[in-house]
Amino acid sequence: MSDPIKIRATLKGSTGEVRLLIPHPMESGLRHDPAGQTIPAHYITSLTLSLNGRPVIEAGLGTAVSANPQFAFQLQDVKTGDRIDVAWLDNRGQRGDAETTFGTT
Amino acid sequence: MRRRSFLQAFGAATALTPLIGSGLLMPQTALATDSGRAAFEAQTALDALRQLGAGAAEQNAALTIRAPEIAENGAAVPIEGISTIPGTTSLSVLVDKNPFPLVVQFSFGPEVQPRFQTRIKMAESSRLRLVATAGGRFYTVFRDVKVTVGGCGA
Repeated sequence: MSDPIKIRATLKGSTGEVRLLIPHPMESGLRHDPAGQTIPAHYITSLTLSLNGRPVIEAGLGTAVSANPQFAFQLQDVKTGDRIDVAWLDNRGQRGDAETTFGTT
Repeated sequence: MRRRSFLQAFGAATALTPLIGSGLLMPQTALATDSGRAAFEAQTALDALRQLGAGAAEQNAALTIRAPEIAENGAAVPIEGISTIPGTTSLSVLVDKNPFPLVVQFSFGPEVQPRFQTRIKMAESSRLRLVATAGGRFYTVFRDVKVTVGGCGA
């Protein structure tokens, strides 16, 4: 996908919040176009969020996560400069990733 | 990549159905609580729960699922799941009346609070389930959501 992930990491004390928006059609494979043809499934199947290079959240996704998936997560005991990496994989083998650090706006 | 070949094969031939749940087709992931793709192919909530190993999940007030009572747009229903059960390692969301009830499954490392916000599709008014894994046991909580315009065929 050409559109970049929107990612924001904010700190409140030692609790960090990560917000993500991943541009992706999340096509279920159950819909039909106006000509009656099935629109093929195209959806993210997995998402990994890493803190300073170590995976801390793994998500498996089905077809019923909304298009352009949005997520928010809370991390404990994080500080300014800690790095967050996000990577996704879809059912066609396409991938995307993004990174940010706490304390940047 | 085994996962990709599984999905392509599944789309092409339901002849693979006997293999689902056998463990042969499960992808490997970094955190151990991911139960693989089979549960995402289940067509009833009970079957999905069985695939997750959560068939005997007990209700627990330390689990919270937030969602609107009435969702105007089934294509994007905002939800939040929170577990305050100590040692929670995973949270899964199911929509009973969706064609494939398992929506998403999160595995959490110890640095992360077992909570999330996201947006999901709901085909019609349905029960929403949050299932937590903690210390090898399963817990669940329900919430009913009315949907004005369904989000799967839309």
